[in-house]
Parts: sequence; structure tokens; C-alpha cells
Amino acid sequence: MRVAIAEDSVLLREGVTRILSDAGLDVVAAYDNADDLLRYVRSFPPEVAILDIRLPPTHNDEGMRAALRIREQHPGVGVLVLSQYLELGLAMQLLSESAEGVGYLLKDRISDVDDFVAAVRRVAGGGSAVDPKIVSTLLKRRRGDDPLAVLTPREREALELMATGASNQGIADALTITLRAAEKYVSGIFTKLGIPTTRNESRRVLAVLLYLRA
Amino acid sequence: MVGGSAAVPAVARGPGAWALWGTVALGFGTLLGSIGLALAGDELVRPGLQAFLFNWITIPYLISGTLAWWRRPDSRLGPLMIATAFVMALTALQWSSVPALHTLGHLLDMVPSAMFLHVFLAYPTGQLETRPRRILVAAAYTNVVILQLAKILLGGNPDSLLAITSQPALAARIEQMQLIAMSVLLLAGVVLLLVRRPAGRRRPVTLLVDTFGLALVMLAILYIAGLRGWPQIEVVRHVTFAAVGLAPVAFLLGLLDSRLARTDVGALLMELRAHPTSDLREPLARALHDPSLILAYWLPDYGTWADPDGHAVSLRGPEDGRATRLIRRDNEPVIALEFDRSLQDERELLDAVVAAAGIALENNRLQVELRARLLELQGSRARVVDAGQKERQRLERNLHDGAQQRLVALALELQLIARSSSKDPETTARLLKAKHEVTASLDELRDVARGIHPAVLTGHGLSVALETLAVQAAVPVELDVAVDGRLPERIEVAAYYVVSESLTNIGKHAKATAASVRVTRSEDAVVVEVVDDGIGGADTERGTGLRGLADRVEAVGGRLRIWSPAGRGTRLEAELPCE
Repeated sequence: MRVAIAEDSVLLREGVTRILSDAGLDVVAAYDNADDLLRYVRSFPPEVAILDIRLPPTHNDEGMRAALRIREQHPGVGVLVLSQYLELGLAMQLLSESAEGVGYLLKDRISDVDDFVAAVRRVAGGGSAVDPKIVSTLLKRRRGDDPLAVLTPREREALELMATGASNQGIADALTITLRAAEKYVSGIFTKLGIPTTRNESRRVLAVLLYLRA
Repeated sequence: MVGGSAAVPAVARGPGAWALWGTVALGFGTLLGSIGLALAGDELVRPGLQAFLFNWITIPYLISGTLAWWRRPDSRLGPLMIATAFVMALTALQWSSVPALHTLGHLLDMVPSAMFLHVFLAYPTGQLETRPRRILVAAAYTNVVILQLAKILLGGNPDSLLAITSQPALAARIEQMQLIAMSVLLLAGVVLLLVRRPAGRRRPVTLLVDTFGLALVMLAILYIAGLRGWPQIEVVRHVTFAAVGLAPVAFLLGLLDSRLARTDVGALLMELRAHPTSDLREPLARALHDPSLILAYWLPDYGTWADPDGHAVSLRGPEDGRATRLIRRDNEPVIALEFDRSLQDERELLDAVVAAAGIALENNRLQVELRARLLELQGSRARVVDAGQKERQRLERNLHDGAQQRLVALALELQLIARSSSKDPETTARLLKAKHEVTASLDELRDVARGIHPAVLTGHGLSVALETLAVQAAVPVELDVAVDGRLPERIEVAAYYVVSESLTNIGKHAKATAASVRVTRSEDAVVVEVVDDGIGGADTERGTGLRGLADRVEAVGGRLRIWSPAGRGTRLEAELPCE
């Protein structure tokens, strides 16, 4: 699995390269800026591109623009954006078209090596990865009448996992239940909340996020 | 350039009270004498009316002349008018039966008409300023003295003591010539008067010139009527006397007008006070009763006068019928007033208006200075805020690129070590605990850094940055950002802090169940509105939160308003100027 990276912090660039290589992924390119990455992606599209959201020269929106550009011009390339801050607005912008092959993770997540590698693989395979902190913020969000009150605690956990991009198998593994049980949870949640069901796991990420944000 | 004409001429000493009252007493004495003569004599057809008309001329000349002498001692016009009144009175002697008096009266018979011409052409200074005027008046005097004398010597008037021979035909011929010449001279005087009557001159002046012209025309008609032996000559004479007598009345009206004008100076001061920055010319022109007033501004850098639009102008002088006054500050000319020359006599009025204008200018200057200082202050306040903002951004960048990255790398390193030391569970547990601590400090650091400066604002604008604020708020927030594209950074930052502080306050104090945030954009401003349904009672003067927020908004030239009635929620509106 080919991975290209753009991260201006040497420490993190090397750290990510190392854990991904250790996990058997092929880090084919690692740059400190967005332009070089874009050029590389154009010539040799990898399975996934990992970008810091703040990249030189201005550290304003270069990383984000590059990510959106790859999404637009190379739909086959998964895009995983790393950010120091938790910005719901940016995550939603990134996912706005579809959540297929997209991820938005806090940089902290790198240190949860296994989860991080799994997220990279998921995004490379067309799945999605939304930072759990974003999902928990959305779940914690105050509302006038909490629609999530109808869910059981287990269902809530399943919802949270679903929103981060976990597959049914991922939910089953995390909750240590069978795949069938996980599938039952998922369809139960959709029915209770009145979210239109979809079999596509990435599409349901967006549906759940939009539901939570609304 | 003006130079000398601006200087106040040395004040001539006015006549003393004795001279004035003496003149008046003597004048009335003469008049009473003339009336007595008119009524006693048998020469006149309707002596009563004749005397009345006669005095209709002399009394106004006497009074106007005396007043002019008193009020405008540096003008010769007053003495000239008094002299005219006396000569006019002396002509009444021809109605006397005493031969010597009759002779004198008759000799002076025509002189008043030349003096009228003199007075009219010498107005307002009392001097004949142009050559044609001098020639005309000299010719008139020659006519009324020399030809009159010649006529009498030749026996034109048999009752005169001066009749040395009796050649009535020749005398009649001379009288004919005399009357024709006088008519022509009077009409020429009218022409000279009208030449100097451009439109836009001061109203009293125009009135005067018209009256003078009428009087001269009537005199000319009277002489022609006498020459042609018109039967209606008495009617013409009465009309002429009436017209000639009107002139000093108009002159008096002019004097009165300038008195009234002076009372307008009070109104002028009030107006300049009420509208200190408005156009100075209009009120000044009104106060001076001179629509032709021109203001010129001195440009020291160019050494020239300029009109209000900045175009260079040169000031006109007496040769154009204009006069000027300067308003100075610190001995430097600031503004020149160019006005109709006739105003030059009304020195008190000019002094008052110039003083009023000077005060207004000083006020204007102070206001301009104040505004400049205010702008300077606003500028430095904005610079302080900008500098603070830059510093915050720099701090955030340092945290982001330094400590935060290092801590992430450190957490990763701890995780990797923990994994490779899996054979020693205790070490692994401690390493993972350490990693957990690092992640916790990362969380805290993230909040601190975001509080210092929300980097997302710089990178992605207000709408994205507010979304995060809204979901993290303590109450449900309805967010509506109706702003397309990016705004100037300082406006985005100010708007962000308005929302951030407001939501924090709502969470801390409002006891609200919901809030709404609305950002709208008008042509020249961005309006941020934050409303909650809490307990109200928020006040910018109490607590530092709202005061600090107001300071921040005002620093970018905006305005913060808060409606917070107790028990009925709080509505906060920040208007941030943004073109």
C-alpha cells in the first residue's frame, strides 16, 4: 500500500514514516510542503496521501487546499488530514461531498499507533476516519431536547464508533460482539433516530455526522 | 495682492457735538428763514407747497449729511451734503424783496443742481474718483456759476443788482445754452452712475444708485421743460423736487440698513456656532448684505490666494469697485474677504463680521485639530490592538510548531517504547501512563493556544471558526453566518471574540437554555448579533468581560450595544465598520 506524506515538522514526518513502514505500508514520498506532494500525486497517485493541515509557506490553508484538490482531481487517492486543532467546520468541509476515502484526525492520534495505522488503511481503502474527539464533541453538544436520549448506552457507543468511520466489523471488534449483533445495533440506531439507512459504510458516516451537527 | 488695502485706515476725528448741533440749528434756522421768505413774497404761485417741497429736499440733505459727517468722519460726503443743503436754502433768498438778498439767491439759483451731481458721483467716499466724473462735475460748476453770472450781468434778471447792461435777447440765448448744457451734463452723470452698477451689488447701493439716477434725469427734464416752456412745468418741478429729495432718504435707508446689518452679526455668530463646519461664505454674505462677497484662502506654501476649491485667485481692488479685508491669525493672513467697495464705509460692520469670522475660523481650526487628534488616537488604539493580535499569532505559531509538535512526537515515542518493552508489563504500564499524561497536556495546550489565537480564523475565515465555537458552547447555539468570502483580518478577529466572549458569558451567567449567533454584512459594516433567552441584566459597566469586549469593538472603530432587561434575555449587537 503506497502512502505519500506532506508534514513540515521533521519529528512528526519521520515518526509517521516510521510507524507506517513498521506496519508494512510503503511510504513512497515524504515532503515538507503541499506543492511537492501535489506534483507527486499527479505523477504517481498513491493509495493515500497524509497531509498536515498547516503547511508552508503561510501555514494558513495550504494543507487544506491541497487536500481538497486531491479529492477533486484524484478521487481514487484517499486523503487523510492531520490537524493540531479540532475544527468541526474544516472536517465538515472536507467531508462535504462524501466521506469516501477521507479522514480528519488530530495529530495526537498518531501516538495511538494501531488506531492510526488502521485509519490510514481504512482511508486508503475508500473508507473514512473522523477523529473520535470530533464525534464526542458532537455527542456532548447541548441541545434543547436530546434526540439521543432514546438510545441505550451500547447503542450510543456503536453510534460513536460509526461516526468515526468504523465498519460493522470494527464496531463488533470494539464492542466485543458478533458482526451480526453489530449490524443489529446499527440498523436499530438508524431506525430510532430516523436516519435514512444506507449499506455504504462511508455514506453513513456523513449521514450520522450531519445528524449530530444539525 | 491686497497688502495696504487691508490695513485699517487711520480714523479721522469726527466733528464735535457743538459742530454737529450747531450745524443742525443753523440749518433749521436757514430753513425757517426760507419758509418765511416764501410765504411773505408775492413771487410764488403756491408758496405753501413750494416751501414744503423745498424743505423736502433740504431737510433730508441736512440730516443725512450731519449723520454721515458724524458716523463717517473720514468721508467728505457728509460735509458735501450739508453744504448742498445750505446752498439750497440760500437760493430761497431770491424770493426776498431785499435787493441784495434777492441778488445772492438768484446768483446761486442753479448751483444746487451741480452739487446734487457732485454728491451723487462722489458717493460713497465723498471723492470723485475717476477722471470723467471730475471733468463732469467741474463742467457743471462752471456752467452754474459762470453762465449764470454772464446771464445776470447781461440783464437776464432785471431785479438783480448785478445787471450791468440790458441785453435780454443775449441773456435768453445764454440761458438756453446753460439749460441745454446742464441737461446734457446731468444725463452724462446718469450714464456714469449706471456704468458702475453691476448686478449682484449690495441692495442698498443699487437702490441708492437708482434714486440718484432718477433725480438727475428729473433735473434734466425740468431744465428741458423750462427751455421749451412746457405748460406743465410746475408739475415737473414738483416731481423733480420729490425725486431729488428721495436721494438722501435712500441714503438714510442705506445707513439704517448697515445698522440692521450690524445686528445681524449676532445672528451670524449664532449660526457659525451652530454649524461650525458649514460654508463660511453664505452666512458672511448675508450678514454683510453683499451677495458678491468672495472668500479667498491664503496658501502660505504657494504664496497665493485660492478659492474654496483650491484654485488660485487674485483679489480685486478699488479700481474694480471692490475692497478687501484680511482675517489674520498669528499675524499671518488666513482668509481674505473681497466685497463691494461701498461696504468700506461701514467699518464697524466689517470689524464685527471679520471678528465673528475669525472666531468661527478659530473654532473650525480647533475642531479640525481635535478631529485629527481623535483620528490619531483611534489609529494608535487600532495599532495597539493590531500589535497585540500579531503577538498572539506569533505565540500561537510558536506553540504549534514547537511545543505541540514535540509533545506529539514524545507521545508517539513513548507509545513505541511501551510496545517494544511489552515483556515488562510494569514498565509498559508506566510508559503508557506517561504517554497519557503527555496527551492530556496536549489537550490543555491546545485549549490555551486556541485561546491565544484561533489559527483556523486566519486560515479559513470566520464561518469555519465560529462553527467550532458554536458546537462547544454550553447551550445549544443556532449559528447563521451570512458572509461570503473573507473579511479584513481585524474584523474577523473582533467578530470572533465578540461571539467567543458572548458565548462564554452566556455559559457563565445567563442561565439560558438557548442562544443564537447571527453575522450579517451590510454595505459598510459587519453586524454580529448574539441573543440568549437567559436572565438578562448584563451591563458593560459591570464586570470586565463586556467592557473588554466593548474596547475591542471600539478599537476597530465599531460599536457595541447591549439590551439586557432583567428576566428577558440578552441581546448583544456589535457593528464593525467594513467597506
